[in-house]
Amino acid sequence: MTHAVTCEGLWKTYQRHRPVGVKSLLLGATIPADTRFAREWALADVSFEVPRGRSFGVIGANGSGKTTLLSILLGTVPEDRGRVALSGSVASLLELGAGFHGDLTGRENVVLYGSILGMRLAEIRRRFESIADFSELDAAMEQPLRTYSTGMIARLGFSTIIHAAADILLIDEVLAVGDARFQAKCHQALREFRTRGGTLVIVSHNMKEIREVCDAGICLELGRVVDAGPIAGVAARYEERVAAAGPGKAKGGTHAQR
Amino acid sequence: MPSVERSPRQLAEFLYLLTRQELKARYKGRLLGYVWALAHTFALAFVYWIAFKIIMGLDVVNYSVYLVAGMFPWVWLATGVTSATRSFVVNAPLIKEMGIAHAILPLSNVMQEFAHFVFALPAIIAWVWLAGGYVPSLSWLWQIPLMLALQAAFVYPIALGCALANAYVRDIDYLLGIGFPLAFFATPMVYPLSIVPDPLHHWFELNPLHALMQSWRSLFMESTLDPAQLAYVAGWAIALGAVAWALHRKLAPRIGEVV
Repeated sequence: MTHAVTCEGLWKTYQRHRPVGVKSLLLGATIPADTRFAREWALADVSFEVPRGRSFGVIGANGSGKTTLLSILLGTVPEDRGRVALSGSVASLLELGAGFHGDLTGRENVVLYGSILGMRLAEIRRRFESIADFSELDAAMEQPLRTYSTGMIARLGFSTIIHAAADILLIDEVLAVGDARFQAKCHQALREFRTRGGTLVIVSHNMKEIREVCDAGICLELGRVVDAGPIAGVAARYEERVAAAGPGKAKGGTHAQR
Repeated sequence: MPSVERSPRQLAEFLYLLTRQELKARYKGRLLGYVWALAHTFALAFVYWIAFKIIMGLDVVNYSVYLVAGMFPWVWLATGVTSATRSFVVNAPLIKEMGIAHAILPLSNVMQEFAHFVFALPAIIAWVWLAGGYVPSLSWLWQIPLMLALQAAFVYPIALGCALANAYVRDIDYLLGIGFPLAFFATPMVYPLSIVPDPLHHWFELNPLHALMQSWRSLFMESTLDPAQLAYVAGWAIALGAVAWALHRKLAPRIGEVV
């Protein structure tokens, strides 16, 4: 079986890149070292493979490198070392409302968002009814997006992306906002997506959802893979560790870059 | 499993949709829509007309036409570059979370202003005709598209370069706020090149913005284009394109981390 996603020995450190002012540039002032990261590596020697048609969960505390990992898979952040290989097209749902325009209607947003996801215009038009049906937004589809609730935006985003016909979907946390019924519908759609041969990589704090959607996964801690294998075990051991650590100082770095 | 293609055609569609939706969003809920964009530029020209013609007594034939014929291309250039400069920072989620081909964003800003200019063409032509008596010529049918293409090719590299630079050094935005008014008065826009005194005259002639704007004016006022000036602008466009390409190659890989 071919792997849809392969990561081999992935290393990533955030450089001290950040917006500098012309003043410091002209005066040649040394920029103080960025101390936002308590550790050297955002990701350290991360390796995993996801076979085609499977669903892979990435869990871990805030700042453990989950989002960085997805960004590298998506190609928006370059890796320092290691190899990333994705076979097939990628679509991402990493942040709620990213790619949406508040002044445009739901319908106009679906068209634009579909295009951002890589769909052809004809394809979007052909699937529009199906997207609208799935979202259950009905008449709200013709209202500007700024009148939408978070749940409605999530429904619009998810409905579009599930119709985008990508081979690999990267999803970060965003499914948690819908109500229970819509979540169940999403999970059903994701299962169908995988039966069609689609591959999922999901980041979530919701262990129930992770268990329901994923087959296998890894747990990250300070950028390192501390656990890997079938999802039930990884999730259970993660919950044990969290419970053992107690509500005190959480293990894990400061939060990732923004 | 169908595959999402991100072919040039798909990217072209994305550019078209992005530009159209942005224009749509900008004019939603505004009764007069693009009339405001027209009114703004005409008002600007009117102010300069009062200041330089009426008050200072500047002697230029058909000064109001001279102003209008240059002002609209200038607004396209200045507004396009200014909004493009912010495009990476404003659309950071598209770059970071959606992984779009980010060079499309400043191109879309340039195309939005291009669209404004094209929408304004009837008004410009009407003004040139009614206020200046320059009857529209058949040659405009090829001259205007040629100038549109030339200006787009000249503006886009500047827009892309500024957007890339602004992702790393946010001051570019402010620098342009100072730079464009300075460039406006350093370019013969509200006065003719002929009144610029000698040592400066030579330097002013080297300004590619002058060659570009002078070409627009000679198009509208004489229906002629000077091949030498066009070639000069095209040369600059190629040089700027090379610089923007080099910047893009150097700065693009980390763009997702800095915006």
